[in-house]
Amino acid sequence: VTTTVSPVIAQQPAQEGKPGITYRQAGERAVLVEYGEMVFDLALNFLVLAAKDALDEQPPDGLIETAPGFRSMLVSYDPFALTSAELLDHLQAVHDALDPERGITIPSRVVHLPVAFDDAQTRAAVERYVHSIRSDAPNAEGGTNIDYVVRYNGMRDRDELYETVLATEHWTGFIGFFPGLPFMFPLDPRDAIFVPKYNPTRTWTPEGALGIGGPCYAIYPVESAGGYQLIGRSLPIYDVRARNEVFRENPLLLRAGDRVKFHRVTEEELLQQFEEVHADTYRYRIEDETFDVGAFLEWTATVADEAEERRRRREEAAAATPVP
Amino acid sequence: MRSLEIVEAGIQTTVQDYPGRRGMQAQGFFPAGPMDHLAHRAANLLVGNPASAATLEITLGNFHARLDAEATIATCGAWAPVTVDGSGVALWESHRVPAGAELTIGIAPETGFRFYLGVDGGFDVPLLFGSRATYTMGALGGLEGRALQQGDRLPLGEPGGNGAGRRLAQGARPEYSRQWDVRVMRGPQAAPDYLTERDLETLFGRTWPVDRNSNRTGIRLESHKFEWARQSGGIAGGHPSNILDNSYPVGAINVNGDLPVILGPDGPTAGGFVVAATVIHADFWKIGQFRPVGDTVRFREVSLEEAVEADRALDESLTDASVEAA
Repeated sequence: VTTTVSPVIAQQPAQEGKPGITYRQAGERAVLVEYGEMVFDLALNFLVLAAKDALDEQPPDGLIETAPGFRSMLVSYDPFALTSAELLDHLQAVHDALDPERGITIPSRVVHLPVAFDDAQTRAAVERYVHSIRSDAPNAEGGTNIDYVVRYNGMRDRDELYETVLATEHWTGFIGFFPGLPFMFPLDPRDAIFVPKYNPTRTWTPEGALGIGGPCYAIYPVESAGGYQLIGRSLPIYDVRARNEVFRENPLLLRAGDRVKFHRVTEEELLQQFEEVHADTYRYRIEDETFDVGAFLEWTATVADEAEERRRRREEAAAATPVP
Repeated sequence: MRSLEIVEAGIQTTVQDYPGRRGMQAQGFFPAGPMDHLAHRAANLLVGNPASAATLEITLGNFHARLDAEATIATCGAWAPVTVDGSGVALWESHRVPAGAELTIGIAPETGFRFYLGVDGGFDVPLLFGSRATYTMGALGGLEGRALQQGDRLPLGEPGGNGAGRRLAQGARPEYSRQWDVRVMRGPQAAPDYLTERDLETLFGRTWPVDRNSNRTGIRLESHKFEWARQSGGIAGGHPSNILDNSYPVGAINVNGDLPVILGPDGPTAGGFVVAATVIHADFWKIGQFRPVGDTVRFREVSLEEAVEADRALDESLTDASVEAA
């Protein structure tokens, strides 16, 4: 007889201005800390970044590293130097000392990037998937993922999707998957869209591809496997060879807390810019700023009704669309 | 400086160190490092290196190299014929070889999939973010961030002296199989919130074939329709395996839609699929010896205390106390 043992090792109740926290054992060398519920609330990510900073500033002995997620943080540790129980105590103290969400200010750059929608490389990745992995995938009908994203979100056509991508700044919640890959979320709640991921995953994606999975956008930093629906292609965001000056100090273009703003280019222009990046003649446009969480939350409240109406329309369309 | 020249690299040979490149997961780097940390550590132990020293990870065999100076070497891992200047030498044992020695490793015919070649002083490629490990997905580490090729010349570290004739005791050597048993801990996303208890019984109870599309990024198993404790992934995506993206632990058994994948040392650091269970470090080495066609794996659940204890026991078995004179 097997008894149910939950991997949840502790829960911390919500406090004034701070969500509840769930601690999950993740093997004997890591604890996954989850903030709030599984809802698409960017305020949870702002808190994650603040918690990571606080923990990195005062790490307990035996802490190896912290890696954030959308509403979570994976804390890796040496189980011979630090027990799971000791780590838990330390994490709870860090969380108790955190400011409520509204008081947080985050260093945040605005990074401008081009995008060419429906380009030949991402189409090739989808076609390869249809031929070699799954021919009946509803998200890849016609050899593209774009029409599926449009349909799943109840949009009138591809242009509505493109306008939605271009309209908002995208918040880099964390970096992961492969080196330098940003997990980005539309800051304007009216432009939030959702789409299921691949099932099973793709084995090849071109460098620079722009994809959407769940509520999240990503740019693929290297040729790799992937599970997001592909809609187009942007520029290199990772180069360990530092062929462009932007990669000299750090091979990663983006960091958690950056905001990405896309502008549309043609495929020919994008390929030209790809070459200019490698030739070190392209200059990435980056502005240093800070991000005031309190002001942001006040602004989102003013557009909440409109966002809610659009969300309802998208959910209706989603319910009538097959999942891969 | 002494060096080793690659004459034939086989299907994939990379420089790896242990525990790899840590502290970089928040930037999207998994640690890389040896897929079989046990054989890597044993090879270093036998030639008198610290466990951290860089070795060569050789996949399947068909390997040939030339040493330009006297050195102490040890090969650990899968079984295959290993020769120095045409004469057979034992695995799991250190050997002193002369300048100009030709070293070959044949193809592993039966069990196991990877070999680790340790040399006294280690392979002295540049440290990058604190490690020499090759991370092919990020095109960095090792030699130019790539698998080795014919003609590559690898510098060796400071000679460590004559440590020949050291053999790992039979009791400290791992057992290889075509049917692997791997200890895991459930979670971080398991029952009752994501999967049902019956799903976990299936995960831990059945035998999983290893898919041919397996490599250092991950071991793919076989698609299976789990019951799931919830109808869908909600806002994270339609399939119940979908979650709002989070960072993954090394050794995660990541359920991608219907397909469980064990994340390897070059695997994705984060993503939006549940991790039903996590391979314990003391057994993580086994996935480096899975043959991608024909091998099977069963998972056995252990507690946190058992996992830490297994780790301690493995550490203790990889010390001089387990080394005997050959």
